[in-house]
Amino acid sequence: MKRIALAVATTAVALMSVNGLAYAQTKGGIIDVATIGEPPTLDPMASTADLVGIVTQHMFETLYTFDAKWGATPLLAAALPEISADGLTVTIPLRTGIKFHDDSVMTSADVVASLERWIKIATRGKQAAEVITAIAATDEATVTITLSKPYAPLLALLSLNNAAAIIIPAANAAQDPLTSFIGTGPYKLQERVPDQYIQLVRFDGYQSLGGEIDGYGGARKQYLDEIRFVPVPDPNTRIGAAMAGEYDYVDQLPVESMQQITDGATEPVVLAPFGWPVFMMNTKEGLNSDIRIRKAIQAALAPEDMMLAAFGSEDFFSIDAAWYPDSFSWHSEVGTEAYKPLGDTEAAKALLAEAGYDGSKPLRILTSRQYEFHYKMALVAQAYLEAAGFKVQMDVVEWATLTTNRADPALWDIYITHSPFLPEPSLMGIMSDTSPGWWATDAKHAAVEAFNAESDPAKRAELFVEVQKVIYDEVPGFKVGNFNALAAQNPALDGVTPAPWPYFWNAYLTE
Amino acid sequence: MLRSALNRIFGMAIVMALVVTIVFVIVRVTPGDPAAVMLGPDATAADIASLRERLGLNASIPEQFISYVGGVLRGDFGQSIFLNMPVTDALWQRAEPTFFLTVFSLGIATLIALPVGVLSAYWRGSIFDQAATTLAMFAASIPSFWLGLIFMQFFAVKLGWFDTSGYGGPGASFGTRMHHLVLPAVTLGLISSALITRFTRASMLDVLNDDYVRTARSKGMSEWRVVVKHALKNALIPILTVVGLTAALLISGAIVTETVFGLPGVGSLIVSAVLRRDYPLIQGALLVVAGLYVLVNFIIDMLYLVVDPRVRY
Repeated sequence: MKRIALAVATTAVALMSVNGLAYAQTKGGIIDVATIGEPPTLDPMASTADLVGIVTQHMFETLYTFDAKWGATPLLAAALPEISADGLTVTIPLRTGIKFHDDSVMTSADVVASLERWIKIATRGKQAAEVITAIAATDEATVTITLSKPYAPLLALLSLNNAAAIIIPAANAAQDPLTSFIGTGPYKLQERVPDQYIQLVRFDGYQSLGGEIDGYGGARKQYLDEIRFVPVPDPNTRIGAAMAGEYDYVDQLPVESMQQITDGATEPVVLAPFGWPVFMMNTKEGLNSDIRIRKAIQAALAPEDMMLAAFGSEDFFSIDAAWYPDSFSWHSEVGTEAYKPLGDTEAAKALLAEAGYDGSKPLRILTSRQYEFHYKMALVAQAYLEAAGFKVQMDVVEWATLTTNRADPALWDIYITHSPFLPEPSLMGIMSDTSPGWWATDAKHAAVEAFNAESDPAKRAELFVEVQKVIYDEVPGFKVGNFNALAAQNPALDGVTPAPWPYFWNAYLTE
Repeated sequence: MLRSALNRIFGMAIVMALVVTIVFVIVRVTPGDPAAVMLGPDATAADIASLRERLGLNASIPEQFISYVGGVLRGDFGQSIFLNMPVTDALWQRAEPTFFLTVFSLGIATLIALPVGVLSAYWRGSIFDQAATTLAMFAASIPSFWLGLIFMQFFAVKLGWFDTSGYGGPGASFGTRMHHLVLPAVTLGLISSALITRFTRASMLDVLNDDYVRTARSKGMSEWRVVVKHALKNALIPILTVVGLTAALLISGAIVTETVFGLPGVGSLIVSAVLRRDYPLIQGALLVVAGLYVLVNFIIDMLYLVVDPRVRY
């Protein structure tokens, strides 16, 4: 039954996105979107949280964004950047006549001030700041970024909607925290009552890029009068709300509620695949600073059982050794032989013996029940690790504690996290030397630097295979598999494309 | 009477000072960091450190304590880190749903509990008494989130009479907002009624056997007058205590129910403040809640004096 329901839902979604535009699109209407909570801030530069990106991408825009195939495409820029032959000068032409919500017109000065704010306060901006030597306005409609070395991820960093390089009026760029939420987006902030609603209304001065709709790129139509984001933090309440048809869109439902949603007043929306759960290894201190122990863990874990425990049915996950699923150009199976869906306890035992592990020191798994699937995976992992001869200590804490403790290398050996598939691999935490896990080896640096320096997309895909190989060789993390996400949608709401960060420009009500 | 009141007020001041200190210490020694929560999962350690600096979290704990207590004495509870507004404003914004939820649930609870408790005691051992006692035991054992979800499933999802959650959108009328309170108030009211019923029954049983009740009856007074005027009035002191404590519990403790029904009240504010480690807001909210507790206790103590003139503090 579930399988049929899933097939129906997926087909419905596919039809919606292909044929959706054949229906008459009417202007008007208000939609209510149930979110997982109140965003910690409405300044998308100041946070990497997905929820912040989901809400604020309607208000603020970046120079570039992602098309349906996760390639960068212009948004406030007039075209893709021109990159000099030595890769050090990036020239960005800007669209002209773009209006901010306060009716002022965007100029290159606003863009420079915004990008300077971004490299100063945004996590991803600071990442770029390491190679950016100057940001300057060449003329009214051109901005030039000068780099100290070629840096291919820049375009993806400028396109992302969290820790985002949004463009705001130069006059507001000094605000930290941001207090004037003036952007160029299709919707503007009308009212925010924390924990009650965030009300966005159509911005009449918006100039859509035009052309075909293409993922986050292309035309952005403003059919809806208003979009209201309502925090519904309790997942069971979100299920109830979806069944009752109270909201037009309900984000992030537990996958096990599929049947209830199918029987209710809204339609299930499945995004497959959505992302990966990952066990991060502390390569800096403790047991996992020994690569042989990490390899033993890699051999011991049985991802198929872990994913089954976490997601209940194969409808909601897939076993995939490649870090990116086959819908991405980064997908490759090369170098992933060490990933064994059912685990290899004997190999793990041999590796442990080789490492001289005597079972006196426990392997500490830091996890939280904020995301129940983390915890369920950890329980199965514990059984397999113990079978291989590990002594395992589970440190189950709540999420805020986990985010503090993971920053201290003395406190953990493995911590569990997850992420949607990020359009650009260099955005993955594992690629940075300073993110918890602190993976920094010569082999990594050689592979990552070659990947970051190359700008040709086809060559970059090949270079990512090398990065993936090093990850499997040195085991700084263990990608468990791919999992799907479930949301619910009012049958009368059309024009929504399933996306990791759902957006509602281009959406319209049919009744 | 005045002396009793002054004694009580002095005690209240000491309790509040202890609350300020204990809450401050507990909040600071709990692991977790508002800066890490605000910056999101991919923030670097350096980003977190610089935000901590800006938020004033890098000052030593005694320094932070002194500046906090100074603020509280001036009536300044500080600024919420996440909501970007003074803590008092944030609490005031959330007062309405919590206030009405408390009033409605307490109303429902006493309307059920008083008559049922009195009749149970009066007809002691009857089928009514047994049924009421069993039901009260049952209600007291139900977790509020579960009952809430069951009501939500039936009355909101199935019958569509109510909304599952929230407090109305922009510009929602007073009527709409109160409509959102019906299910949570019934949930809390039913659960709270259990305890009050049991106390009412026990307290009535005590007094129904007393000599003055027999005397009243022997004077030929009607049963109604005997039970309500004589017995119930004397049984009221323990009942008042439990009603007062229930009220205080509801003000602060609708936490689970408010979260399940997505009500933007004080309870859910405390939960989100704790999850985000919004230190000033946790401190301010707990201080206000503790203050209300103390105040409710004070009011009950004063009511004792009115109900029973023999009471002295």
